Amino acid sequence: MSAAITARGVEKRYGSLVAVADLSFEVEAGEILGVLGPNGAGKTTAIRVLTTIFAPTRGSFDVAGSPHTCPTEIRRIIGVLPESAGYPERQTAEEYLRYHARLYGQSRLGARAVTKSLLDEVGLGERSRSLISTYSRGMRQRLGIARALVNEPKAVFLDEPTLGLDPAGQRQILSTIRRIAAERGATVLLSTHLLAEVEETCSRVLILSRGRVAAQGTVSEVARQAAAPRSGRLRVPREHVESAIAALQAVPGVEAASADGQPGLLKVTLAQTDGRPPEETMNAGLRALIEAGIPLLSYELEGARLSDAFLAMTEAL
Amino acid sequence: MSSARLALLIGLLLAFAPAAQAGLSVSNDRTAIATKLGHKFVFHSTIRNDSTAPAGGLVAHLNVVDLSGHTYVDPEDWSSHRTRYLAPIPAGGSTTLPWPMNAVNSGTIGVYVAVLPRSGAPVPPTTGPTLRVRIQDRKTLNSGGILPLALGLPALLGLMALGVRFRRAR
Amino acid sequence: MVVVAGQELRDLWLGGRGLVLSFAFSLLLSVISYLVATNRALNFLEQRESVNLTLQVAIAVGALLALLTAADAVSGERERGTLESLLVTPVSRLEISLGKLLAALSLWAAAFVITVPYVWFLARGVGLVGNAIAVGLVVGTLLAIFLASFGFLISVFAASNRVSLSLSLLVLLALFVPTQLPSSAQQGWASDLLLRLNPMTAGEHYVGKIVTNGHAWSQDISWLVSPLIAAALFAATALVAGARFTRLRGGASG
Repeated sequence: MSAAITARGVEKRYGSLVAVADLSFEVEAGEILGVLGPNGAGKTTAIRVLTTIFAPTRGSFDVAGSPHTCPTEIRRIIGVLPESAGYPERQTAEEYLRYHARLYGQSRLGARAVTKSLLDEVGLGERSRSLISTYSRGMRQRLGIARALVNEPKAVFLDEPTLGLDPAGQRQILSTIRRIAAERGATVLLSTHLLAEVEETCSRVLILSRGRVAAQGTVSEVARQAAAPRSGRLRVPREHVESAIAALQAVPGVEAASADGQPGLLKVTLAQTDGRPPEETMNAGLRALIEAGIPLLSYELEGARLSDAFLAMTEAL
Repeated sequence: MSSARLALLIGLLLAFAPAAQAGLSVSNDRTAIATKLGHKFVFHSTIRNDSTAPAGGLVAHLNVVDLSGHTYVDPEDWSSHRTRYLAPIPAGGSTTLPWPMNAVNSGTIGVYVAVLPRSGAPVPPTTGPTLRVRIQDRKTLNSGGILPLALGLPALLGLMALGVRFRRAR
Repeated sequence: MVVVAGQELRDLWLGGRGLVLSFAFSLLLSVISYLVATNRALNFLEQRESVNLTLQVAIAVGALLALLTAADAVSGERERGTLESLLVTPVSRLEISLGKLLAALSLWAAAFVITVPYVWFLARGVGLVGNAIAVGLVVGTLLAIFLASFGFLISVFAASNRVSLSLSLLVLLALFVPTQLPSSAQQGWASDLLLRLNPMTAGEHYVGKIVTNGHAWSQDISWLVSPLIAAALFAATALVAGARFTRLRGGASG
């Protein structure tokens, strides 16, 4: 099955300023790709190139089989929620959505039907006849998502969809995004600088820094790429702390084991250079505790987090 | 000044005054016109050269004068083609000019054509007879009828604008 | 194009702005026509001149409204953040441009329709109604197309909406100023040429000759050349520019 979105060496240059360089990736249908990056990394520029707002200076891409040389074809099959999208204040949500449905070739009747269904889906059904000027930021974002879905797109590009929303609003938007991918089978490209959003929502992640790809892969693949200290936390009964420390320190790959403040809590630091995955080393440590007859109350492998990878990679470039 | 001295002065002036162009005469095709306010009318004047030499370098000019004493006359309003530069008129020949005019005001006006040379010694112009034009008044503007329109149309548009705003705000 | 024009018209007229502008315009015409109609000293020619004045005001204001609406067409959408959503749809930039231009011209159409009863009232006594309405429609439409296209062109390239509107107004004033010069300043071949080349002064002159002086349409037809060329040239340029250069960013960086 061919990828839903494929980019090959995409570059966008403004004179001597390179906004995006050598952007290459593939996203399968139904996947949610998180595009991470600090401010100015080129996320919005990349999205604008992929959504045919800007022409690439170099490279190529295609969306659901439509090449970048046919921008009209791409526009027919994508939905976009731009960053800081504006809305016509004097229109109602219903009018706005109906207009966009008609722009995609829907008949009047078809536009009416899809408008009602989408507004209900994003929770704006009861306020469909209110002027957009009366909408909160969260409502406008939901309206924007509805507009991005009006043409049953094969790929949806969402640029900072939770920007400016409170936690409840963010949760709602992310839930909607997951539903888009799961129920509609659409490929979603989600641009954000919030790591938690990516960890919670995306199956794959692409980290951009200064216009270049710093890392890409699944969340855990990217997290593992970071050279961050790996550690775990264990809880044993208070009276077994000393013997647990001794047992753990004897395990190859365990760099250090020590009490971690709270009664019974131990911190285990795993060596970076032993070449084994951290899960294996930790399992060996757990086996050592069990063989020593030390009860294990809880265990957590912290390992490398996405945030560690993000900071490491965006500072490196 | 005594009447004798006045007569002597006039005689001397007449004796030394340059003569009008010999042989030229101006006549009109009509002596009077009756028309209504706002209408257009035309009369023709014929300039004859009864001399034995061709007459060249002549200018014909239309003049409009208020005869009633209360008609405002701006000649430009009555006709926009009041000055005609004539081609030479051969000896014994003539030329006829049409003078289209607009009846711009009501009242009685006098219209006459004067012909004069463009160069040479100053001579009195040769003038044609005065054409009397009587323009009947007619009411062209009913001032009382403007109010319904002047008030009604803005009111209608204002109500429509308010109606749309009110409907949107609900 | 129909969808875009339809929505632009709805935004303009059902959104209320168009009706407010039409109301203000009709007030202006009401004041002018009332003053004219109640002037007992008005002579026949001055009545013709009043009809001419009414038409000139209608053409000037109608064209101005079309210009300002068109000047907001692209730069306004950019500033309001609504342009990007429009550009990612499969509607071509040409269709978007055409739809917006038509919506801008609707303001001239409305101004003309509002003018008709006033012209009828003032002109019926001097037998001028048909001629005045016809010449007002022809010249006004040409000038409205010219100015709306010009405003749209500026809007495509302007770095901001403020620049677009200011520049449009400045150009309009520059085109109108020669009409206010005393007739002594309008003598000579150079002045005559400039007056003929300027579509606004040429159009105003042509309307005046037909309405005030009662000329036939063909008598001064050469004065219609520059409004005709300006309308055609700027309309074509605006559409081509809109199709090629409507971008997310205006100004040099676009």
